[in-house]
Amino acid sequence: MTDGPLIVQSDKTLLLEIDHDQAAECRKAIAPFAELERSPEHVHTYRLTPLGLWNARAAGHDAEQVVDTLLTYSRYAVPHALLVDVAETMARYGRLRLEKHPVHGLVLASTDRPVLEEVLRAKKIAGMLGARIDDDTVAVHASERGNLKQALLKLGWPAEDFAGYVDGEAHAISLDESEWTLRAYQREAAESFWHGGSGVVVLPCGAGKTLVGAAAMAHAQATTLILVTNTVSARQWKDELVRRTSLTEDEIGEYSGTVKEIRPVTIATYQVMTTKRGGVYRHLELLDARDWGLIVYDEVHLLPAPIFRMTANLQARRRIGLTATLVREDGREGDVFSLIGPKRYDAPWKDIESQGYIAPADCVEVRVTLPQSERLTYATAEPEERYRLASCTHEKVQVVRDLVAQHPGQPTLVIGQYIDQLDELADKLDAPVIKGETPVRERQRLFDAFRSGEVGLLVVSKVANFSIDLPSAEVAIQVSGSFGSRQEEAQRLGRLLRPKEDGKSAHFYTIVSRDTVDADFAQNRQRFLAEQGYAYRIVDAEDLPA
Amino acid sequence: MSTRDDTGHRSLADQLRSWSDDRLAGLLTARPDLTTPAPHDFGQLASRATVRASLARALDTLTRLELSVLDALVVAGQTTPADVRSIIHARPAAVDATLARLLDLALVWESRGGLRAVSGTADALGTGPGASGLRPRSPEALAPAEVTRRLAELSPAARALLDHVAEHGGEATSGSARLTVLPADAATPAEELVSRRLLVPKPGSPGVVQLPGEVGIALRGGHTTREPVDEVPPLATAERSADLVDKVAAGAAFELVRRVELLLDHWGSHPPGVLRSGGLAVRDLKAVTTLLAVDQPTAALVVETCAAAGLLSARADVTGDQVWVPTDAFDTWLDEPPAARWVTLVRAWLASSRLPALVGTRDETGKTRNALAPELASYSMPESRAGTLAALATMPAGVVLAATTGLPSLVEQVAWHRPRRPRSRTQQVAWTLTESAALGVSGLDGLASYARALVDGGDPEPGLAALLPQPVDHVLIQADLTAVAPGPLESALARQLQLVADVESRGGATTYRFTPASVRRALDVGWTAVELHDFLATVSRTPVPQPLTYLVDDTVRTFGSVRVGAAESFLRADDEAALSELLHHPKARGLGLRRIAPTVIVSSTPVDVLLPRLRELGAAPVLEAADGTVQVTRPDVLRARVPRERGASAKSVRESARVAAVVAAVRSGDRATSTRPLAPATPLTPSGALAALREAIEVGATVLIGYVDNQGVSSDRVVDPISIEGGSLTAHDHRADDVRAFAVHRITTVQQVPPG
Repeated sequence: MTDGPLIVQSDKTLLLEIDHDQAAECRKAIAPFAELERSPEHVHTYRLTPLGLWNARAAGHDAEQVVDTLLTYSRYAVPHALLVDVAETMARYGRLRLEKHPVHGLVLASTDRPVLEEVLRAKKIAGMLGARIDDDTVAVHASERGNLKQALLKLGWPAEDFAGYVDGEAHAISLDESEWTLRAYQREAAESFWHGGSGVVVLPCGAGKTLVGAAAMAHAQATTLILVTNTVSARQWKDELVRRTSLTEDEIGEYSGTVKEIRPVTIATYQVMTTKRGGVYRHLELLDARDWGLIVYDEVHLLPAPIFRMTANLQARRRIGLTATLVREDGREGDVFSLIGPKRYDAPWKDIESQGYIAPADCVEVRVTLPQSERLTYATAEPEERYRLASCTHEKVQVVRDLVAQHPGQPTLVIGQYIDQLDELADKLDAPVIKGETPVRERQRLFDAFRSGEVGLLVVSKVANFSIDLPSAEVAIQVSGSFGSRQEEAQRLGRLLRPKEDGKSAHFYTIVSRDTVDADFAQNRQRFLAEQGYAYRIVDAEDLPA
Repeated sequence: MSTRDDTGHRSLADQLRSWSDDRLAGLLTARPDLTTPAPHDFGQLASRATVRASLARALDTLTRLELSVLDALVVAGQTTPADVRSIIHARPAAVDATLARLLDLALVWESRGGLRAVSGTADALGTGPGASGLRPRSPEALAPAEVTRRLAELSPAARALLDHVAEHGGEATSGSARLTVLPADAATPAEELVSRRLLVPKPGSPGVVQLPGEVGIALRGGHTTREPVDEVPPLATAERSADLVDKVAAGAAFELVRRVELLLDHWGSHPPGVLRSGGLAVRDLKAVTTLLAVDQPTAALVVETCAAAGLLSARADVTGDQVWVPTDAFDTWLDEPPAARWVTLVRAWLASSRLPALVGTRDETGKTRNALAPELASYSMPESRAGTLAALATMPAGVVLAATTGLPSLVEQVAWHRPRRPRSRTQQVAWTLTESAALGVSGLDGLASYARALVDGGDPEPGLAALLPQPVDHVLIQADLTAVAPGPLESALARQLQLVADVESRGGATTYRFTPASVRRALDVGWTAVELHDFLATVSRTPVPQPLTYLVDDTVRTFGSVRVGAAESFLRADDEAALSELLHHPKARGLGLRRIAPTVIVSSTPVDVLLPRLRELGAAPVLEAADGTVQVTRPDVLRARVPRERGASAKSVRESARVAAVVAAVRSGDRATSTRPLAPATPLTPSGALAALREAIEVGATVLIGYVDNQGVSSDRVVDPISIEGGSLTAHDHRADDVRAFAVHRITTVQQVPPG
């Protein structure tokens, strides 16, 4: 029996004891094929999933390597059934290939005829295929490239896409590294993506995903369409690109609710793309407006369903997805895999944090007790009202004040879900508030003021969750959230994880009402934090130093 | 008693009689069917040993070599060991050893004319494995040299004909060939052969000639077979590190033990039903696959192994339905170390005749075969398993079966050792190999080092114990409220942890998760906060994370804040003083009143008793309904329902018929008594009875007969005999008022009854 750091469980989880000498080595070895599920302080849990194994297969690893790695690092005997399963699952990827045929155009080819026969008989696929060319090849309607890949993945026979990409309209883009340099992992991420053709890069918030996008554009040297979550984020992308690359402001267009510019590099919001009028998507033509050479999807885990459908038609163009997490609350990870591409790069948060690129965080949950009167109201409220009642308790206001007072001079964000509560807080704290109705210009102004240090305390609603760079924030106080979403937690923590100049650690407070659904939801969020390796504490509001 | 002389025994019985007790015991152990029922004497033992069924059973246990030697004896007839050695294509030493064994099995005996196979052997061998297909030697056989000389004289056509006959059953029709010619006069190839006695007329079958044994032997180069018969077919093997084999096998062994524990633990509280046909429902087996995270064949194997080891059995649950539940042997099994548990399971599997591999397949009628169904068994399975493992054990450590050719070669080798049975051996060997891999007996198609002890009768436990993960006595508790035990936990510790936390993932290690519900579960069974904290601190190798400490405290805080109790009734009043007065009333002591709030009292007395008692005490209570409204009651006035009459006429008819029958019976009974003589009637001889009855028929008289019925009860009947035939009397029975048949031999007395 070896004394390896890894324990392979028969339910396909891998437990990695991180205090073990070989832990670092082992983590490197298993990272390509196993998905990190949780990384608390002592034992990290990885999971072997078909998607993970196919990701590895797409990255050029074969089953033998995987099995060998498991056997090498495993402390105990590895369940035989699991090894067999790994080999079988990995063998499924690439049995079917999408190729360019000189005569017939896009074809689905197979080295394994029974597999081809099996998928040809699947009802869902029938409409996507054209004539049978020979025993092992069948024509594919070019427009169905994405849908076919999606359907094949569902059948368990993911196709490898060798059909290549159009180059797109050439446009010179280079990184301007005179005042900064691309970090090693960013360069690695961009290169992994480029060699893979299309795919997703997973980096924690604050690790500089925008720059990975810029580096990818520099590789592509072509017109680029960037899809982002909202307008503010679009502006930030624009600023960043102007600052970090050879692109000038005139070359970058914004395509949003207010402005509709189409330029060599165009940044569009998800919202404008999914706007329907009269039952049709009005802005779809943007996708064909130019011969795009690269499409960048920011925050892939938030990609709305209509964009997936549009993406299915964009399979001939290179696509890069950027995200902090592949976890989708709607479970559509498989669509990301088949439509945007396999995971091309992944780095555990803690690793990047220990390299000093993102700030360490001190996570604290503060529990307040509802006053008797509110408890009664809560107890008799309708279930759908309960969360709002619990999370908007007035008790929280005092706690927020105490916390703000604890961190004088540190830029602080107060984040919440309910406008009434935010308004009340803004009023009591005498701080500006940003919410959905705040005009974009006003938001921009406030964010700028916060960045410059002019404003030290900002109350924000969930509009600030995504892609708004507030690197100076040092303290975040969360008063309410949308039902314990793990993704939201990642985003909010991300607001604080931008590197601090003096290496100070960030503070992340969550205020919850005890014995209510608020506390139940908070458990989800805590679990996410703990699983990401952030130790957190729970304190009672009464125990806070006043 | 021995009649042994220099040349042998007179009969098999004589030979057996001369054997020592030990040797006889050996025979009876090897052929257990000879002992049931115990034979009276040696003659009977000898004759039973040559009965066809017993012979067939004995032959089933022979190897190919042994069968070939037996066959050679059949071909040679009565002969010497030296002769047998010469005609068997095998090493002489092997032949001698085989002969000795066949003698011990009483399949061969030493007659005065030499060694011979017991009669019936030829039939029992038939054309099955080991039979050479040669005819017996002719009584005055030619010497081998002479046969060879005559063969050399043959014309090519004759030789071809002879070869053809030899290859096709050794028999031919003589056709027009003359059977009495001299070699010089032979005109056709057939006559050439007949004249040289290379083909001889078959006795009793005119027109048929056959190839005598000695010629067949000569044609096969002096032996009964062309191929050597003492060469065990080799296994196709490949190299594989013995460590790896052990690691894989021990992994499976550990999994087996874990799965059995998990399954039976679960079934102890959620037992699945027993099908009417005796098996386990497909649905329940599916649940097992989910519970154990294994495929269906493995699930079936685990279930069957549990049953074979006596850890699982059927019994009736509280509602009287049959369910599968762990036996009490499971509890003792749990107390053993993992390696010992494995040995128990695997020994049971080896000895079991069950066929788990057939579970889930369909029988001839298209019905799915269920696990634990009684019919899934084959008597040959234990032997196939033992044979397969023994064959695997012939491979040295570090050698395993080759990937594709290994299994066929294994089947062939097992077949060499037991050529005759069973017909489904190929399947059974393949099953054994798959099952042994799943059970951890073998790994990577090689026998695990510790499993060799299973084959050679040793104890596999120490070998396996060294390979299994060592039990650990600590866990790593983490801030995400999970605890990881990096190995199998010590049994007691595991059970405690399972109480305090939920199991999330099992395997070599176990992951537990703490939730408010799991902590509450521990509080429910009486743990205190202090105990919980202490337990966590001792069991965790790392500091207990603050969120867990908080979780425990928080759960303790809300634990028991709502209390539940039982009461028969309650009293409530806005007037606290009125309640206090009631509570302290001296006569209220027996009412079991207890104040639980200033305005509420509960009572252990039911409402219908309480209410009048309270009124007696001078209170004026009103009754409250379940919805809180006041209920007004007045004493019930009792009324009964009018009884309904049945129709009178039908009843009276039925009644009168019954009465009439009773009367007839009583009357005839009475007559029987009255005609009974004072002295008991002397029993008649059958002929006397016949005579008396015939007389009664003649005169049409009524007689009283003493009759012993089927149950041996003797009674007196008054009858009018009608006829008598074939030992049976047909008569009108007065008591039954019907014509009945009486067996004459049961009639004890016949007496005239005076008419009237």
